[in-house]
Amino acid sequence: MLTVQQLTKRFPNGRGVFDVSFEVRQGEVFGFLGPNGAGKSTTIRHIMGFMKPDRGSVRVNGRDTWREQGRFQADIGYLPGEISFIEGMTGKSFLDFMADLQGLRDKTRRTQLIERLQFDPTTPIRKMSKGMKQKVGLVAAFMHDPKVIVLDEPTSGLDPLMQQVFIEIVLEEKARGKTFLLSSHSFPEIERTCDRAAIIKDGVLITVKDIHELQSMQRKLFEVTFEEAAAADAFANAGLAVESREGNRLRVAVQGDYDRFTAEIARHKVRNIEIFTQNLEDIFMNYYDRKKGITP
Amino acid sequence: MNAALYGRMLSVHLKGFLNYAIGSAFYILLMFWLYPGIAQNAKAIDDLVASMPPGVGSAFGLNGFGTAEAFISGEYYGLILVLILSIVCVQLSTQLMARLVDQGAMAYLLSAPTTRAKVALSQALVLATGLLLILGVTTLAGFAGDAWFLRGKYAFDTAGFLRLNASAFLLFFAVGGISFLVSALSDDEKRARGISGLIAFGFFSLDLIGKFSDKIDWMRNLSLFSLYRPGEVVSGPGDMAVTSAILAAIGLVAFGLAVGLFRRRDLPL
Repeated sequence: MLTVQQLTKRFPNGRGVFDVSFEVRQGEVFGFLGPNGAGKSTTIRHIMGFMKPDRGSVRVNGRDTWREQGRFQADIGYLPGEISFIEGMTGKSFLDFMADLQGLRDKTRRTQLIERLQFDPTTPIRKMSKGMKQKVGLVAAFMHDPKVIVLDEPTSGLDPLMQQVFIEIVLEEKARGKTFLLSSHSFPEIERTCDRAAIIKDGVLITVKDIHELQSMQRKLFEVTFEEAAAADAFANAGLAVESREGNRLRVAVQGDYDRFTAEIARHKVRNIEIFTQNLEDIFMNYYDRKKGITP
Repeated sequence: MNAALYGRMLSVHLKGFLNYAIGSAFYILLMFWLYPGIAQNAKAIDDLVASMPPGVGSAFGLNGFGTAEAFISGEYYGLILVLILSIVCVQLSTQLMARLVDQGAMAYLLSAPTTRAKVALSQALVLATGLLLILGVTTLAGFAGDAWFLRGKYAFDTAGFLRLNASAFLLFFAVGGISFLVSALSDDEKRARGISGLIAFGFFSLDLIGKFSDKIDWMRNLSLFSLYRPGEVVSGPGDMAVTSAILAAIGLVAFGLAVGLFRRRDLPL
């Protein structure tokens, strides 16, 4: 449904994307993961036909997005990473405008979406919070019922409740056979919706993997505080990857083998456990490092 | 062209156009209202102008107060209207393209099933429509002023007045085309405004300075504004056909280039 083939674009500063290829099948939710500046946006700009590839091509539903301007867009819904609307409009007048451009007459879907995302569309856009603009953008991306939906950092600015609503909408649309590309710099954001994900870094696609596989590769940091110093000593010598120790508090990195971790901590009296949120590089640290060894 | 886009964009900018159009209409009415008082003292004023250093009169369009259209052509079409329309061209062309790219809203326009060429063409038409609207309202206000204040007692050459407006439109079609081209090629709103402002007001200044003295007359040849001579156009068609054709051609080429180059360039959206 969405094919990126050997996409290469080199910017004058040497950055860009290099030989990026992946395919998103119909009915699939595909995550596009990478730290900021890795090339996610550049790839999406090519998918949307905003940039001309140096080499390679992007096809949406069989149509080349650079050469077949004006036709491929009918199948695509898009939420930009940085939302900016035309000044002097309200949410409603902007959505009317987009409906006009898309040649959309039926407004029932739009009304449903507005109801679910719970916002007042008559608010002038300049008075909207970031989250509210994000909602307007989501409605604009979904309302014409496109086959492929490209969302750039879709949940930024949404509160947890609305993130949940967003996930529900994505899963429903997926059940209806819609294809998604979701970009993000945070793994937790996409692991709940995606089937597969690609990881991109420095413009190079590092891997495309099943989300469960990625979950098992994921490295988590736990900070465990024990009741007694003896327990902390014993735990520190148990052979787990202890990153640091401060009194009875130990920081442990766990990757995949949760069983062993839980078995070890179950032996002792534990006062507190905290999980650290980490950035993408840290989560897949070993993976990135391994890759670096192969292709310097 | 994309009709939906054109319609919506025009309605977004209509208020701005109307502000300029109404302002311009009031100004020209004011000139008509003043004219009868000036006409009675035309000789004295002409003498006054003659006593100024040579060049000042021609630079600021103090080219005779004998007829209403000569007065208007000098006092309004020679300076104030040119400034107003230069501002409109620079501001609006920047808002129609570079701002949308800079702020990212262009992403929405291009994610709808339309081509870039259509988007750029619709935006260019919005600009041309705005200029036409402002000058149309100004022209109508001129006729109203004639009927209201001059009442046939003072000479007013309708054909000359229409020529004046047509030639002003063509000048700003060309200036607008150039600023639109700058805007279509720019990712940065401020830079687009800076460059097209520099071009428009640079042309304007070269023309103005060139008029001060015959010695620096050559400077006018560098300026697009020298193809627009309100004082001469009102008194007779002269070589207006040639200058009009040149201005129209410059405008069409600039708009055409803007559309063509916008179609092919990378957009940082």
